[in-house]
Amino acid sequence: MVEPETRPSLLLRLRAPQDQQAWAEFVCIYEPLVMRVLRQRGLQDADARDVTQQVILAVTQAVQRWQPDGQQASFRRWLFSIARRLALRFLERGQPKRGIGGSDMLKVLDRLPEPEHRTEVQFDDEYRNEVFRWAADQIKTEFRDSTWQAFWRTCVLHEPIPEVAELLGMSAGNVYVARSRIIARLRVVVEQFEAEHAAGDWEGVMP
Amino acid sequence: MTHCDRQYLQCLLDESLPETTERDVAEHVAQCPACQSELESLAAGQVWWMEASRRLSKSYVVDGTDSAPPANPVETAYFPVESAPASSIHDDEVDHFAYDFAVDFLEPSHDSTKLGRLGDCEIVEVIGRGGMGIVLKGYQQELNRFVAVKVLAPHLATSGAARRRFAREAQATAAIVHPHVMAIHSVHASAKLPYLVMPFVACESLQERLDHQGPLDVKDVLRIGMQAALGLAAAHAQGLVHRDVKPANILLETTVDRVMLTDFGLARAVDDATLTRTGVIAGTPQYMSPEQANGDAVDHRSDLFSLGSVLYAMCTGRPPFRAETTFGVLRRIREALPRPIREINPDIPEWLDRIVITLLSKEATGRFDSASAVASLLERCLAHVQQPTSIPLPLDIDRWSPRPKHPTSKGLGFLMAEVGGLLLLTVIVTVLVNQLPDPQPVTNNTTHVPNPNTAPVEVEDLTDPRLRWDSLQSEFQNAETEFAPIEAEARRSLELLNGDVEQTNRIDRREEP
Repeated sequence: MVEPETRPSLLLRLRAPQDQQAWAEFVCIYEPLVMRVLRQRGLQDADARDVTQQVILAVTQAVQRWQPDGQQASFRRWLFSIARRLALRFLERGQPKRGIGGSDMLKVLDRLPEPEHRTEVQFDDEYRNEVFRWAADQIKTEFRDSTWQAFWRTCVLHEPIPEVAELLGMSAGNVYVARSRIIARLRVVVEQFEAEHAAGDWEGVMP
Repeated sequence: MTHCDRQYLQCLLDESLPETTERDVAEHVAQCPACQSELESLAAGQVWWMEASRRLSKSYVVDGTDSAPPANPVETAYFPVESAPASSIHDDEVDHFAYDFAVDFLEPSHDSTKLGRLGDCEIVEVIGRGGMGIVLKGYQQELNRFVAVKVLAPHLATSGAARRRFAREAQATAAIVHPHVMAIHSVHASAKLPYLVMPFVACESLQERLDHQGPLDVKDVLRIGMQAALGLAAAHAQGLVHRDVKPANILLETTVDRVMLTDFGLARAVDDATLTRTGVIAGTPQYMSPEQANGDAVDHRSDLFSLGSVLYAMCTGRPPFRAETTFGVLRRIREALPRPIREINPDIPEWLDRIVITLLSKEATGRFDSASAVASLLERCLAHVQQPTSIPLPLDIDRWSPRPKHPTSKGLGFLMAEVGGLLLLTVIVTVLVNQLPDPQPVTNNTTHVPNPNTAPVEVEDLTDPRLRWDSLQSEFQNAETEFAPIEAEARRSLELLNGDVEQTNRIDRREEP
């Protein structure tokens, strides 16, 4: 996989620690995001990796043109705004043929005109999936493992609460409390991420 | 203990309570649904909980190598739909397919957490798809409620007739207000793709129940059968025939013991577009009535036959008429007697078997008069099962004859003219029948109204109980393989000739072994 951190020019560009952190967040979120959107379109794994690499390289090159304006978190917003545009451009340009067959319904769907907003809607939906995953990774270590398990098993895997309580040696009440605490924390982290990465200021920017 | 103060719960969430207090409050929360939901809403809104659950379960699926087990449906509210056909597409692809279809016609939503917008519904996610289209989960902000949105598939929406029937029958269904009929909030017939808005209910379909539980016990069979019959009676009172009564269309609420019928008249829209185009019957025919299988006109008694098939499936865990192909299933529905219930599940009482067999009469006149009669009979049976000593079994059960033993009036010539290929099988049956001892003449209690289409030619009894499928199965399977090409040709010719009997007979003669 690509290792953009090793590019000296990029490291030079990202002198501030918070900028490097922003870059790390970008790679952490965009790599699986672009991969998944491509895989959903029926691309083979190797091809999807190829395109993902191209997207990240394109963003790396765009970073050369980044002009700091001295404002707090401005690199982060700029980076995520550019990344979204570049990724969408790649995805829309490619429109690879889907490797699915066997259903008449799909043939019908294939004949329908491609709605303009589809890629964007799908991309933004997957983006938000990645943000949740990223946030979950961030907060996971803040909690005891049993607390995390109580949340994951009941909320994500939908295992029944009494079973999970017994499995983890907790009372059912503690399972309720545990998962509520995690949801509350998750919400804070996701909302904070969105506030920091909102692309609003950079709407007009095109690399 | 009364409900906790909101502040206590907030402190519980923030871990700012003394340890002993925390334990007490947590214990109370475990017992008190009101405090549970209060605590949860302090942490995040309901929409947020569901979004977190959905996104986390998805985002950990990379490259389709996710190992997470399927979600337990009991905890989540969802709206069941028919599962994909047996030739199933890979899960990933289904997901992808549903996604494409969904966003195709949705307006972009201003809310980035939603898939899109349809009318006044913010679409949260795709919850499934069936033959008719897809089912989406929506949220109506102004009414602050979740709804299930059922959207007609694009290929059906292009047929004007399908759209008109969709609208007409959906509106008629919306007029049925009954506890055992799934309500319809609104019908949007003129949308690009017509759609229905229904309540979002925590439920599973009877099909799902049967899939994971197998045969049900007698009480459940009676209870579910009775409620489904009541729902049908309400529809029949409005002049509506459901036409697609099957376990997938019978919903079981998870919180209360309530049964709801759904998908009224939608089956007809399916017929519309597909029948006119290709002349082939679409969908799963397992629960169709013989008159549907024949393409004859149907009335409310067609639903009673299907209800009989559903009762049979609840007793045995599988539909009464099964075969490899759609054509095979239809043939069995028309001609075969299902394997006796008690051979498969000895726990089922003889009288229940008799009720089911009566419902499964090939002739509509041999069934019960109405769905409400079935409902009241099942209700009395249920009362008997629950209190066997104080409540006797309804007496009138004995009035219906058990399995039909009288020769049917179905003529050999009629069968020939009906479908050329069937002749071959009829011949086989005839040969087999001739090898058996003569059937004992048995008096028949049921009134018998001859089918006006039927030529009055005497023929061997195709429904004789000794000619069970289990004994004939291998012969039939051999015959099917051997004659499949001929049969296919016969059917083709028949279609071309459009029922020209003279021509058909010629084909039949040529192909007789």
